[in-house]
Amino acid sequence: MSNDYESTQLRWLGILSVLEATTLVLLVAVAVPLKHIAGWNVAVHVMGPVHGLAFLGYCWAAIQAVTEGGWSRSEAVRLFATAFIPFAGFANARLIARKSAALRTGAVQ
Amino acid sequence: MSLAALYPWLKALHVVSAFLFVAGTITTSIVLAAERANPGSVEPVAGFLAKSERWLTTPAMLLVWAFGLTLAVTAGWFSNTWLQVKLAFVVLLSAVHGIQSGQLRRLVRNKALKSWTTLPLILVSMTAVVVLVVVKP
Repeated sequence: MSNDYESTQLRWLGILSVLEATTLVLLVAVAVPLKHIAGWNVAVHVMGPVHGLAFLGYCWAAIQAVTEGGWSRSEAVRLFATAFIPFAGFANARLIARKSAALRTGAVQ
Repeated sequence: MSLAALYPWLKALHVVSAFLFVAGTITTSIVLAAERANPGSVEPVAGFLAKSERWLTTPAMLLVWAFGLTLAVTAGWFSNTWLQVKLAFVVLLSAVHGIQSGQLRRLVRNKALKSWTTLPLILVSMTAVVVLVVVKP
């Protein structure tokens, strides 16, 4: 199968990583303060399940990518650990971009 | 129309998605087991299965989660133990699906498969999910 197949998977992983990080930041930095400071629960009720879905989607894509191979143990740990830390998912974009570049140059099989 | 009025429809769509998801997951598990037992035997169907995994089973899994979370929020079930245990099994099933999907991609790219047996785990998880949601102990 061509490297395009791999690149598409990595692109999806990158998109889901940013989506997961964005929804986590919105939940923790916007929805939760709105609930506790302004007593407005709607934001948490909406962002909670939305972040839950984004989190699951990202974890699923990470499991698929790691199981397929080509990731070191530390890279795999990093992929999963960043899902729990606000803003850390954005840093994943760099790791995933590096993987894509390695794939293009043939460094990753 | 309120979410409560949509409950039977959401439930029906959740069940349909669950059927498709579990059917796809079991099929992939059996095909991967057949390939491990007899390397090269499922090569002709691997590409087709990868396509159906991408366009049928994975979207079905996302719909299972979307409809399921909506149902749980609508009915206010998140504090119930049966739902929390059920969620653990669904997370496990989704993880098994992710692992199998990665293995299927290895198969399509002619790479060696890991010797993971997933079928018993899928069957136990599926049974637990159905019992928990029907009996609600």
